[in-house]
Amino acid sequence: MALIMNVMYAKAIGITQGIIGREVNSDMWLSTVLGILQGVAVAYIVAKLMQYAPEFSMVEMAGKLIGTWAGKGIAVLIFLFFLGTFATVMVTFVYHLMDYFLPEAPTILFVVAALMVGLYGAYHGLEVMSRMAFVGVFSMLTLNILVLFGSVREMDVRNILPVMDSGLVPTLWASRHFDTDWAFAVMLIALLLPHVKRSARLARVSAVSVGLAGISIVMWPIMESTVLSAEATSQYIVACMQLARSAHIGLFLHRYEMIMIAFFATSSLIQVMMCLFCASLSASKLLGLKDYRPMLLPTGAILGAFAYWIVADHMRAMEFTAHQWPLISLPIVLGLPLVIGILYLFFKDKLKANQTPS
Amino acid sequence: MTEQKKKDAVFTSQLQDNTETLDGILEFSTDLLRREFVIHADSNRHGICYLTDGLVSNTDIQLILKTLLLYGQAINGNWQQSLDSFEQIKQQLMVNCSIRTVTKLDDGINGILSGETLVLLDGYAEGLLITTKAWESRSITEPATDTVVRGPRDGFTENIRTNTSLVRKRIKDPQFRLEAMVVGNKTRTDINIAYMKGTVKDGLVEEVRQRLQKIDIDGVLESGYIEELIEDAPLSVFSTIASTERPDKVASALLEGRVAIFVDNTPFVLLLPTFFWQFFQASDDYYSRYWVGSFFRIVRYIAFLISLMLPSLYVMLVSFHQEMIPSMLAFTIASGREVVPFPVLVEAIMMELAFELMREAGLRMPKPVGQAVSIVGSLIIGQAAVQAGLVSPFMVIVVAVTGIASFAIPNYSASIAIRLLRFPLLIASGMLGLLGFAAVFFMVVIHALSIRSFGESYLAPAAPFRPSDQKDIVLRFPWWSIKRPPSFSKEQRRQGKNTMPKPSGGQSGGPERG
Repeated sequence: MALIMNVMYAKAIGITQGIIGREVNSDMWLSTVLGILQGVAVAYIVAKLMQYAPEFSMVEMAGKLIGTWAGKGIAVLIFLFFLGTFATVMVTFVYHLMDYFLPEAPTILFVVAALMVGLYGAYHGLEVMSRMAFVGVFSMLTLNILVLFGSVREMDVRNILPVMDSGLVPTLWASRHFDTDWAFAVMLIALLLPHVKRSARLARVSAVSVGLAGISIVMWPIMESTVLSAEATSQYIVACMQLARSAHIGLFLHRYEMIMIAFFATSSLIQVMMCLFCASLSASKLLGLKDYRPMLLPTGAILGAFAYWIVADHMRAMEFTAHQWPLISLPIVLGLPLVIGILYLFFKDKLKANQTPS
Repeated sequence: MTEQKKKDAVFTSQLQDNTETLDGILEFSTDLLRREFVIHADSNRHGICYLTDGLVSNTDIQLILKTLLLYGQAINGNWQQSLDSFEQIKQQLMVNCSIRTVTKLDDGINGILSGETLVLLDGYAEGLLITTKAWESRSITEPATDTVVRGPRDGFTENIRTNTSLVRKRIKDPQFRLEAMVVGNKTRTDINIAYMKGTVKDGLVEEVRQRLQKIDIDGVLESGYIEELIEDAPLSVFSTIASTERPDKVASALLEGRVAIFVDNTPFVLLLPTFFWQFFQASDDYYSRYWVGSFFRIVRYIAFLISLMLPSLYVMLVSFHQEMIPSMLAFTIASGREVVPFPVLVEAIMMELAFELMREAGLRMPKPVGQAVSIVGSLIIGQAAVQAGLVSPFMVIVVAVTGIASFAIPNYSASIAIRLLRFPLLIASGMLGLLGFAAVFFMVVIHALSIRSFGESYLAPAAPFRPSDQKDIVLRFPWWSIKRPPSFSKEQRRQGKNTMPKPSGGQSGGPERG
């Protein structure tokens, strides 16, 4: 649950809101709410599908249903998904720190630092990352409370009126940006089910986790719209940092965004770790390895190189995050379970015959 | 004779052969004494006692000799017919309470070197090992570490049996078990594993036993050797086995289902499994009112954060993120740093090293000189350094507060670990600002999350989160609310229901007035 909440949070509160704000202005919070509802539904459906064969991940399930090479094809697709996700995660991590705290530091430094922490965490496995995610949930709550505390006096509800000003269809269409955030969580469910102890409750837990993460995220577009205004929010790449900057407690503590970024970093680094872990896992399935650890360094090198290429140029990064990535990630995250589901209907006897995971 | 042959050699019925072999092995150490005697004049039966001077009680030796020389002479008729084995001698002649027969030479030698007296008689292919251990030892005093304001003042000594007795005195339960082992090929150090049967988790004692049995080392001079040889994370800076000088702390740990390892010749007893949060718990948290205990525990957590992070945060803010410092404070810091020629990172490292230098010098020096070193170091050099413009006053404050905070952590090894971690965090913060701080801090957190102590997660019950164990972590809940021991214990019950005290019968409390 903590992992799902963390992997959705960091990008969704800032980068995503800025992008949504540019499309639907003050309806960004509504777009986020619609995205949450879609996320809850998809997470539930995918988890339910995975529960038909809880001992298999999606890659293994595909392999059992239609053959080893098809499984490898799915593994490549999932690897590519995490390659792109890692780039967006790095956009979030790097621009938060670089643009607001260390503008003169070279970009490569941020990518290397994130990779080092990410690889170290991923090497220690899912158990350690889950515990870290628990710390991450605490950080998310603290960050939310801090920003609420520092911004509540500046909130002006008139800034989000009139509601649904952009119309339902554009608002719904804009939610695709938030959908890329829960897509990460859904892919996690599809890959990690065999590692979950009480898999019988997975569908409910997954849906609840996406819902809870959504609740902790949705207060950000509301605050960004009511404190900064939607117009101001849409001018920034990292909108949440602008909100954090405007927050203050009394006169003495007039800027405390660094404290907030410390809490934000937990969630962001968990995203980095999980991306590396899942990409290495799918790479190990692709090569037929039993352990994902030998794939960590090569995967880190590939993901790191691609992410660096993306984040090195702000224009390229935003073009990829705002325009290309939703069109790549959503077909994968929605299409894969659909295809697997259809295949399951036709070949479920074959799957049941295979008791042990490959 | 080769080592293996020496170990396997057994006593023969010829006293002369036995003494020659023993003398050949023990040679002429001045503290090894031998006393020859004739036990039964009629049969002219010769005997010999081997003992180590300084490790034995003279009274006990005199008692042994008196028994053999006086009562032995009084045996009528044929000696061999009356007492044909050492078992009979043990049962019918000797008056000492702890005696065992040995057949191997190696056992006899180990006994002699451990303070027992070996008695050999002509015609018997065995030896009698009589416990006569007695040596000068430090009396029970207040522990040098783990001091308390309220609580018992007795601390462990270098004598293992005194130490176990201090715990036995506190737990008068037959389920309290002590298992003996010997570790160290040459030192043959006595080790006792202590636990509460029925309370300790299944498999934990076996695991401890196995790890101790695996130790193959020439000597164990302190429990620190054992700690390093059996811990789960040998490469970690964190200590995954706690040590204490306090018998009450050991007793409390045993009641919670932990295992204690007593090592002879050291007052430090090991406790396991150990959790990180334990290092912030002091004994008097439990003896003071729970409000007070909880408050001081929170103070210690703050001290931990200060000790770990304050210099790094200061260096990071002053070097990279000046805009985050409140304006008035930034002006004060800037005015202090105006004349300082060094970058803030260099200044911080210099001051931290100077502090560590003073701490180490103060610790190693004789006490009165040590105090003088501290005073000279902290007051005179600090003041002079500020006046000379080498360091800023703010940096002196930061380093001093950090140092004081590190001493507020009750456990010395935890305090040292935090002190060590401070340096990489400081360097990373000084070189990469927030990025460096975040990267190193998270790597430390991941590392701490990944390690275990005898099967238990080191950061439990915080991560993984165990709601039932939260009553004794950040806060110390009142005793009447702690209904069961920690979840790693096999025991389910600590006290009965409704133990919260309240006035009996009356609603307002107090005695009824007639």
